[in-house]
Amino acid sequence: MRRQRRTIRRSLLAGLALALTATASFAVQIGAVQAADDEVVILGIWPQSGPYADTGPLLDRGARIALNEVGHKVAGKKIKYITRDSETKAGIAARRAQGAIESDGVKFIVGPWSSGVALAVTEVAKKNKIMYYFSGGTEDISGKRCHKYAFMWAANAWTAMDANLKIFKKANPDAKSIYLFVVDYAFGWTLQKYVETLAPKYGLKVVGVDRHPLGHREYSSFIVKAMAKNPDAVYMINFGLDAISAVRQLHNFGFTPKKPVVLSWSSGVEELVQMDAKMRANLIVGTNYYYTVDTPENKAFVEAYKKQSGGIPPGYGPGAGYGLMKMVLRGMNKANSVEPVDVIKALEGEKGKNFVGDFYINGRNHQTVRPFFVLRTKPESKMANKYDFADIVDVSSTEQPRDMNQCKDIGGF
Amino acid sequence: MWLGFQTRRHYCELSMTLLIISQILNGLATGMLYALLAVGLTLILGVLNIPNFAHGALYAFGAYFTFMIASFTESFYLAILIAPFLVVLIGFLIESQGVRRLYAAHHDYQLLFLFAVALILQELIIVFWGPVGFSLLPPDDLAGAVDLGIIIYPKYRIALLIFSALVILALFFFINKTDLGAILRAGIENREMVTVLGIDINRVFLLTFGLGAYLAGLAGGLATPILGLTPSMGLDILPICFVVVVVAGLGSIPGAIIAGILVGLSQSITTIWWPEATNVVIYVMMGLTIILRPQGLFGSR
Repeated sequence: MRRQRRTIRRSLLAGLALALTATASFAVQIGAVQAADDEVVILGIWPQSGPYADTGPLLDRGARIALNEVGHKVAGKKIKYITRDSETKAGIAARRAQGAIESDGVKFIVGPWSSGVALAVTEVAKKNKIMYYFSGGTEDISGKRCHKYAFMWAANAWTAMDANLKIFKKANPDAKSIYLFVVDYAFGWTLQKYVETLAPKYGLKVVGVDRHPLGHREYSSFIVKAMAKNPDAVYMINFGLDAISAVRQLHNFGFTPKKPVVLSWSSGVEELVQMDAKMRANLIVGTNYYYTVDTPENKAFVEAYKKQSGGIPPGYGPGAGYGLMKMVLRGMNKANSVEPVDVIKALEGEKGKNFVGDFYINGRNHQTVRPFFVLRTKPESKMANKYDFADIVDVSSTEQPRDMNQCKDIGGF
Repeated sequence: MWLGFQTRRHYCELSMTLLIISQILNGLATGMLYALLAVGLTLILGVLNIPNFAHGALYAFGAYFTFMIASFTESFYLAILIAPFLVVLIGFLIESQGVRRLYAAHHDYQLLFLFAVALILQELIIVFWGPVGFSLLPPDDLAGAVDLGIIIYPKYRIALLIFSALVILALFFFINKTDLGAILRAGIENREMVTVLGIDINRVFLLTFGLGAYLAGLAGGLATPILGLTPSMGLDILPICFVVVVVAGLGSIPGAIIAGILVGLSQSITTIWWPEATNVVIYVMMGLTIILRPQGLFGSR
């Protein structure tokens, strides 16, 4: 009996370990086939499991739409697109990226989604001289961790926070204080730094900051602390289910709609669609992509996406997947080559229009300078259809001041 | 200036005191939800000697059934009444067609089976309801917040706290004052003896699993207005359930209740001074319990 009870206790603890690491993905990658001469291998490393597992498939879908547009061919080569699960874990993602480079001949990497994971993958890209394009909140990819092989697609964090605060103050001219909820990893720390720096410019004071673990779902304790400070708004630096959970509970506490909540780096549709209309009241949403952007290329992308998503328009996730792949393909076409060095040289200083509007790629730090969108949610009575969540009220492409950028030397090949 | 400083210090201390009281209230509300879940898990563990890895998935199904029924009937109360019984049916199916066939097998097979069931149920949620999450607002009469003097607090959470306490009291009465409850307690103590006394042990197992599933489903339904619905919500809550059960001690129902509340309180109080450690603190609690009192705070085995 005693042995059985010990067994049960061991099983319980083993079960806890299993539950903590349990994922729905068992991405076992087999095959050690090098790239054929007539093909180029692009790796999409996306979160198929873990905290951002809801976004991984959408990122992948966006990337595949971009590939379908060119018939999986570029610069005279066939494109072989492979994916790996980042699990939103830096070590695992780096190992899988390295494995894909060695076993599949990967030359270009897009993804992942988490900034923390990206900082690991960028080192793999640098070490292996693989071109890498990322979309996320950490500024380090085009900042202090910049290198010749890495590019950033998302708007710079400074640009984004400046736009959010500007619109928040414009919509709430009497507001003086904000309380921050910040997800506790690289993405959150970067954006928090800029909010604290920029808030005084708009006559705002940060009266409190709470960092919460990634994947947190129960925000009542944070909300109680925030409400004790009586801020004019809660300014959120988190993402996905974290943001949705916090918005839901802020609504439960009666914070919204009386006072606004700012979702400073949102996926847009993917978050808003999971909220009830009452929960969406009085939100200011900053995002790198919104589906109503009025360009012909975006309209085509949205239509292609809706055919696969049962009519739900794309948010930042699929927009990023699409945007990253489009930039890589653009570089390949311009260089008429699939060699990373040629594509990188082609993209440095590149200017033009893409599906989100005008852009240019700063050759000094490989930051894609492009629009960042600020939305205001609309009440249910004003929605033209069930996905008409918000209007774009501001678009900002203001580049981060050079003296604030920490990429001092991007290095060579 | 000295008096001003003392007045400001007094005000700060009062604010901190109010914040602590607020967080205690918060912790109690969260803890009651954990307690409901943990009692169900403890019952199954105590009587069947199996850690139910599908417990989180049953909780998730409770949430999704509640959402489905509430959307269809526009009544959250009706949904909360019906949804847990649908989860009981799933529990009966799991026990009668799966776990029961493995009682004679090695313990590991039971664990693997229940783990597989958890993953299957999670994928079924995606099949039936899709990968995108949902929100369910509290019923209109429990929407919004009420000013309690020291804190403005959601009406729904207050109702949740009271209702969970009533359910736990009812459960306590059932376990301690009814014949069936006595059989369950006997099953936890010594199931071989229960069999020797001529009680159909399979029926006891079935009812226990069903009761555990009911509590999981009820907790899931009650949690939806707070935590929303996502396919992975079962996996999110499962580690916390196991932590509560380990801290409580194997097979201790009062322990599961108190440990659930303690875990909720530890999270909320930690938020005051070290919000980044809100999740870590419960695992520290578990680690300390294992080291200092391996049988759990209230367990005897």
